[in-house]
Amino acid sequence: MKPLLKLSDVNSYYGKIRALNDINLEINKGEIVTLLGSNGAGKSTTLKTISSIIRPKSGEIEWNGQSIVGLPPHKIVELGIIHVPEGRRIFGGLTVTENLELGAYVFRKNKKWVKEGIERSFDLFPRLKERSKQLAGTLSGGEQQMVAISRGLMGDPKLLMLDEPSMGLAPIIVQEIMKIIQEINKQGTTILLIEQNAKAALRLANRGYLIEIGNIIMSDTADVLREDDKIIKAYLGV
Amino acid sequence: MDIFLQILFDGLVIGAFYSLIALGYTMVYGIIKLLNFAHGDLYMIGAFVGFTLLSLVTGDGGLNTGLLGIGMVFIITMVIVGLLGMGVERLAYRPLLLAPRLSILITALGVSLTLENSSMLGWGASYKVYPISLPKNGFEIVGAQISYAQIGMIVLSALLMIGLRLFIDKTIYGKAMRAIALDQTASSLMGVNVYRIIALTFFIGAFLAAGAGIMSGVYYGTINFMMGFIIGLKAFTAAVLGGIGNITGAMLGGFVLGIVEAYGTFYLGGSWKDVLAFGILILFLVFKPTGILGAKEMERM
Repeated sequence: MKPLLKLSDVNSYYGKIRALNDINLEINKGEIVTLLGSNGAGKSTTLKTISSIIRPKSGEIEWNGQSIVGLPPHKIVELGIIHVPEGRRIFGGLTVTENLELGAYVFRKNKKWVKEGIERSFDLFPRLKERSKQLAGTLSGGEQQMVAISRGLMGDPKLLMLDEPSMGLAPIIVQEIMKIIQEINKQGTTILLIEQNAKAALRLANRGYLIEIGNIIMSDTADVLREDDKIIKAYLGV
Repeated sequence: MDIFLQILFDGLVIGAFYSLIALGYTMVYGIIKLLNFAHGDLYMIGAFVGFTLLSLVTGDGGLNTGLLGIGMVFIITMVIVGLLGMGVERLAYRPLLLAPRLSILITALGVSLTLENSSMLGWGASYKVYPISLPKNGFEIVGAQISYAQIGMIVLSALLMIGLRLFIDKTIYGKAMRAIALDQTASSLMGVNVYRIIALTFFIGAFLAAGAGIMSGVYYGTINFMMGFIIGLKAFTAAVLGGIGNITGAMLGGFVLGIVEAYGTFYLGGSWKDVLAFGILILFLVFKPTGILGAKEMERM
C-alpha cells in the first residue's frame, strides 16, 4: 500500500543552520505516528516543513504519491493536511466560535458544514459551548488546547498533525486530550503526534520515530520503542 | 448656541472625511504593520477619477444628471481606486513584506510621490473646479444653517462605516483579516490565503478613501494634485488618536479631530488648525500612544 504521506531525504534550514538532515518518514492511512526527541531536535521543523511554513532546501514530500513541495500553506490545508501548531496559536482576540469558523475557512462557502462542525466541536468538548462567545484569549490553557484541536478538525483533516498538545497542561487534562486524540483516530483521521510526554505518546501510537539533531536515528513500532533501552533512559524517565 | 451647532456640523463633515481615510490607514497597519503614507494620495486620485467621470456624465456642466448617475459615478470611482490600491500593494509592497520595516516605509513615500506626480501629469497642476456643486438649501435648527448636502455626506459616510464594521465583524473574510492581524502564520494554517486577504484590505481602504475624495471634491468645489498630502497626515493623526489598528478607533478619531479643528479654527483662527491637529498627534504619541481605544494585548500561553 502506498503511504499517505512520504518524506524522502528532506533537508530544511533556518537561514544557514540546517535543522533537518535527510529526513525519511512515512505515514500510512489510519495510523497514529509519533515523533520523539528532545527540544530542538527538529520535530516542530518537520511539521512546519510538511505544512509548507518552511520550504525544504531539497528532498521530496509526497501526499498520496503526489509531490506537494512548494505549494503555499493554504493549498496544503485544502488537501486535508492540518497542522495544529506548538503553543496552540489560537486567535486570542477572536471568540471561540470565530476561531472555529476560521478553522473551516476552506469550507467557508458551505454554511451547513461550518454549522455542523461547530456543533460537533461542542459535542466533543462541551466546555467550549459555554464559552462560545468568549474571547479565546481569556480561556484556560486546557480550554485553549481544546479550541486548537477542534479548530483543526473543522478543516476536515485526513492527516492531523499535533505539535505538543499536552504542553503546560495539568495531568488530568492531558489524559482527556489523549483520549480525544484516540477517538479522532478511530473515526478515521490519520495522526502525526509530537509529544514531550513520550510515555503517553507511545501508549497511543502505532509507530514512532526518534529524531536527534535533525536526524532520524530510530524508527519502529511503538511496542518495540517502549522496550528500547535508549528510549527508556532518555525519554521515559525510568 | 447657533454658532456652536453650526461649527459642530462643519466639523462632522470634515471628520467624516478624516474617518474614511483613517480607516484605510488603520486597517493596513493592523494587517501588515505598514504606515501606508501613500494612502492620502488615493483619496486625491479618487477626487480626480470622480472629477473625470462626473465631467463625462454632466457634459458641459449641466446639473441634470440626476442622483442615479451621480451614484453610479461614486461606485465606479470607488471600485477603480480600490483596484489601484490593490495594484499598489501587489507591485510596491508585496515584494517587501518580508524585508525590514524601514524598506517598505520608504517605498510608501515613493509610491506617494509617484501618485502625486502621475496625477499632475495626467490632470495638470492647476486647481480643477468640480463639475457639480451642491444645492445650498437646507434647514435651520436653533439658528444654525444646516444644508441637506452636509446631512447627506454625514449619513453616507456613516453608512459606509457601518457597512465596513459589519463586514469585519460578520463575514468570514473580515474574520480572516482580524486573524491575520493577530497571527499571520496561524491564519495560513487555517487555509487562509494571506496575500489575497491583504489585497482585499488594500482594496477596501482605497475604496473608502476614494469615497471621501469625491465627497470632498463636491463639498469644497475645487481639487488639486497635492490635496492628499496634508489630509493623509491628518487621517494618520486620526488613526493614532483612536488607536492605530483599531477600526472603531479610526472612525472616532476622525470625527474627534474634525470637530476639534472646526472649533479651533473658529475660536483661534484658521492658521491654528494644523497646529492643533499635529499638537494632538504629539500629545497622544507622548502620553497615550495606544490612542483612545488602543488595543490591550491579550494573549496567554
